[in-house]
Amino acid sequence: MKVLVVDDSKIARMSVIKSLKEIVPDAEALQATNGLEALEIFQKERPRVVFLDLTMPVMDGYEALKRIMEIDKAAQVIVVSADIQSEAKLRVLVAGAKNMYPKPINHEIMKLIFEKDLLV
Amino acid sequence: MNLEFNEDQIDALREFMNVSIGAATASLASLLGAFGTMHIPKIEICNSHELAGKIESTIDLNSMYYVTKQLFTGKFGGECIFLVSEASATNLGRHLYITQNPSADEINDAVIELTNILTSTIVSRLTQELGTQVQFFVPYLHFTDAHSIVYEGDISEYSKIIIISTILDFQDQQINGNIYILTKDEAIESLQVLIDEKLEEIYG
Repeated sequence: MKVLVVDDSKIARMSVIKSLKEIVPDAEALQATNGLEALEIFQKERPRVVFLDLTMPVMDGYEALKRIMEIDKAAQVIVVSADIQSEAKLRVLVAGAKNMYPKPINHEIMKLIFEKDLLV
Repeated sequence: MNLEFNEDQIDALREFMNVSIGAATASLASLLGAFGTMHIPKIEICNSHELAGKIESTIDLNSMYYVTKQLFTGKFGGECIFLVSEASATNLGRHLYITQNPSADEINDAVIELTNILTSTIVSRLTQELGTQVQFFVPYLHFTDAHSIVYEGDISEYSKIIIISTILDFQDQQINGNIYILTKDEAIESLQVLIDEKLEEIYG
């Protein structure tokens, strides 16, 4: 299963991938460091799941989410962000994200995401 | 003493700061009943005598500023400086006191309240991420021009300073500010050790 992890921070991407591999050991983790890179990889690879940060250079997560949903209405995007404002969560859910979780993601949260939020 | 950070350490510090700023923005959003736009934190290491110039390069030099400084001690000790322009501080006073013309006391009080929430949330969350604790001193507020933000006494105990800076940005309310966290040489060393421990957890 291809999973795209989008974050400008390497440690944040590695943290998501570490938890991901604990739950889905055979997951193929693709990485992008901003929204624009994410769009290019999404178009080409069509990952089953996208873990998307919001605050990024070049193109932020809000814009990337909008564009991903335009490409594929059934895209499964989980937003993982330091922005824990309720309004931020509302905005991404309205834009089509499956759910939003505060950073950092750990084993228990990743398990919950695959049990409750995703169709895989 | 090696006070240089490698790329992974800077990335980790920026990410821990990002999480901390996120918590602080949510607290302030709740206080203001508003939505705050988050910005990517910037990490810089400079010599102490460069600090004033670094700060001046990021602000409007024609404004007057409310400057709050709050010391914290512990394994990760240092000082948090929060700058808010006169216009932003007035908007903050208007918003919190629901009045068109807040008094000077109301503006001072609003800035202090904002600083307390901001500093304690950011530094507490940052140190929580790093697995340590700090103690806070009472914040000190002064009103000044852009060229008098940093006193000589502020930097006398520092040789190298890590400047962790970001922007507080509540666009609809026209309230914004700049946050700088300064750390002393001993704290930089402790910080490197704490960051390396976290990197080891993630990268193995």
